[in-house]
Amino acid sequence: MNRAVIEALELIYPSDRLLTRDVELLPYESDALTAFSAVPGAVVLPINEEEIIDTVRLCHQMALPFVARGSGTSLSGGSLPIPEGLTIGLNRLNRIKKLDPEQRIAVVEPGVINLHITEAAQPYGLYYAPDPSSQSICTIGGNIAFNSGGAHCLKYGMTSNHVLGLKVVLADGTVTTFGGESVDGVGIGPDLVGLFVGSEGLFGIALEITVRLMPQPELYRTVLAAYNDLGAAGDAVSMVVASGLLPGAMEIMDRLAIKAAEASVQAGYPDAEALLIVELEGEALQVGAEFDQLLDTIEESGAFEVRVAQNEAERTRIWKGRKGAFSAVGRLSPDYIVQDGVVPRSRLGEALVQINELKEKHQLDVANVFHAGDGNLHPLILYDGREAGALEKAEALAGEILALCINLGGSITGEHGIGMEKRDYLPAMFSEEEIDIMQALRRAIDPNEIANRGKMFPGGEAPALSQHGMHPLERAGLISRE
Amino acid sequence: MTMYAPGSVTELQAVVRESERIHIVGNGSKTALHCAVNGAAIADLSGMSGIIEYQPSEYTVTARAGTPVRELNEALRQKSQYLPFDPLLPEQATIGGTVASNLSGSRRFRYGGVRDFILGAEVVDGEGRTFRVGGKVVKNSAGFDLSKFLVGSLGKYAIMTELTFKVFPDVPRFRCLGFLFEALEDALSAIYFINQSAYELDALDLAPARSVPPINRGKKDGNWKLLARLAGFDDTLPQRVERFSAAMTGDTATIQVEEIKDSAALWNPLADLSGEFLVKVVIPPKQLPAFDVLIAHDHRRYSVGGNIAFAATDDIAQLDAALDASGLTGLCLRGAVDSAVIGVPIDNALAERVKQVLDPQRKLV
Repeated sequence: MNRAVIEALELIYPSDRLLTRDVELLPYESDALTAFSAVPGAVVLPINEEEIIDTVRLCHQMALPFVARGSGTSLSGGSLPIPEGLTIGLNRLNRIKKLDPEQRIAVVEPGVINLHITEAAQPYGLYYAPDPSSQSICTIGGNIAFNSGGAHCLKYGMTSNHVLGLKVVLADGTVTTFGGESVDGVGIGPDLVGLFVGSEGLFGIALEITVRLMPQPELYRTVLAAYNDLGAAGDAVSMVVASGLLPGAMEIMDRLAIKAAEASVQAGYPDAEALLIVELEGEALQVGAEFDQLLDTIEESGAFEVRVAQNEAERTRIWKGRKGAFSAVGRLSPDYIVQDGVVPRSRLGEALVQINELKEKHQLDVANVFHAGDGNLHPLILYDGREAGALEKAEALAGEILALCINLGGSITGEHGIGMEKRDYLPAMFSEEEIDIMQALRRAIDPNEIANRGKMFPGGEAPALSQHGMHPLERAGLISRE
Repeated sequence: MTMYAPGSVTELQAVVRESERIHIVGNGSKTALHCAVNGAAIADLSGMSGIIEYQPSEYTVTARAGTPVRELNEALRQKSQYLPFDPLLPEQATIGGTVASNLSGSRRFRYGGVRDFILGAEVVDGEGRTFRVGGKVVKNSAGFDLSKFLVGSLGKYAIMTELTFKVFPDVPRFRCLGFLFEALEDALSAIYFINQSAYELDALDLAPARSVPPINRGKKDGNWKLLARLAGFDDTLPQRVERFSAAMTGDTATIQVEEIKDSAALWNPLADLSGEFLVKVVIPPKQLPAFDVLIAHDHRRYSVGGNIAFAATDDIAQLDAALDASGLTGLCLRGAVDSAVIGVPIDNALAERVKQVLDPQRKLV
């Protein structure tokens, strides 16, 4: 990185928070999309919002590309460094500035870990709803950039639906605030929170975030149903929906995913082609009545075994296998790609049949784990990165899966974002004109295109495809891909 | 004044291209939004109407922007589903106008507002281009989410022609309880109690006791009534109502509990708000006591757990001043005003960038 830039950064940061030596930069070269890596020119570790603002303004003046990074758990390469660019590590801005249980809101800094909000709210009977699988380590700033989801999105939505207000620094250094503490959020004037959330770091950096909290449900009822046929499990989801129920979560795992989860966490799952997990939540009396109805529906759907969690320990065990499925698959294969396509719920069965055909065609193993309630597929394509051409083959299959999601009327990403990984597929979903408009919007905010350069839009310089194997944090069991 | 009534997207594109300045109207149910157009041509979108695709099993519905909310609600009702954001003017408004002005009703309390249920849109921008934003499936995070940006945008950035929403199954039965409180602060404390409890209410509104039916004896000036609605199925609803009522009696300062016959009129927060001007104010509940003192002479209802205030007044200047003094912004829905947005101006830095891209000639007013 050129000397003038370093000198300018030295005016903002002491030497222990300005990393420039190779050995210091290495830990930042990848995120959870481990197929890519790039060494940043420098990493800075701000401790307050003034430093972030000064840094972004400096980047704007010097046309220096930057990427904001929390814990580096992006599955789409969203926090992958820009070669020779600046990585702004936000983990040290980790204060919960305000917790107001009466109004059910919290005001937090971007480096606060998702689960820490729930932990802080728990004594008041509240929680922060979006629950990506990496919630014990991922930061709220990253959740905002990528509009993170989780297993419980159908009923209460994704990150965007839980952010009421934001103070941000745009990529050109402008500091602006929108929304506030009312649940109506921005309320009057265009919904700028809605626009900013999910912009993948291309608009700027969130400095202060007001989130809404939800009351903890009085009761959860969780059922696990086993099927001899993946399609039958998919049909069961449609039957549950048709019965008028609105479960908090509906998840499906296929045989390979079940096998991996069993080997990894011994959840005690039945031997089946497919497992369906359905969870109801809410007021005890209501959930009780709904649960009877749910069991009748599951009965009719042809499940050969139905297990009901009788207590919190059994519920945790059912979820443990599901939540650990991704890292478990890592045990079956040295490398894998996680896809995140969405199809209309009624076409889940069709999508699964087609994925099966593609997997035969490409001679690759695919494990399927998905948020069935909202049609969000997570096929895991297994490959060995040490074999020549294996990654390319896996990527070709991944591309065909994305194409089928679009053909069935869905989306190429439900909750992981486009990032680095799917940027070449954006044109499959949006027309040239639509992409032009998005690009123009990006340039209206960031004329130098410095914020998270190389992500979301096709083209641009690509970091090396080099690394294989699990992310170091994943290997340590700290994060998982979902 | 030039008036257009485009019947198709192509016609609308032509209107935008031909016009120097253009203002959009649906059914015109929010009169205050249509008075400061200063000679701009008017495009009436109520002719671009109709449900395009409704898939109950997908929880999604797509309709043209000029579709009456009434029609959409009726189609959903036939499949026991509903728009959980509860459009505010169900008998008068179009769905496009509801999104453009971000107007949710009392049932927003349960699951969220317009922003939480819009999935995508097709628009015509100020350059006359037509394109899609967002998606048509219940979950999607590809590209910038301009569909949410449209919520509250008042037609000033792009004209919505088609909208896709997430919908939910509705419940068949409702019960309503009214809780009387000596003072606003007592009623707010009860809201805070409910906020931290696991009772799942369908709606929760607060109003001066004398303005809410049934008007019975014992209510004094300064008394407030909290209206709570529970929704559910026959077999458990009575027990839930009893349980909630007992908790409120035990844990809040309510001085009287009564069951009120549930009706659409009861849950129209605007029903009793007479006055020349009607204003929506987005307000954190904790600001209500100070704000209420300033508008004590106006008719008012604090909807959605006290997060959205509706106030009706004959003196808009005074209400404007009250908003300024409280650091709040209001959207005037009824009455003749120079600007529909009153009180503290909105920080427009990011919205202005969008304007530069979608409407650089500033045609859309």
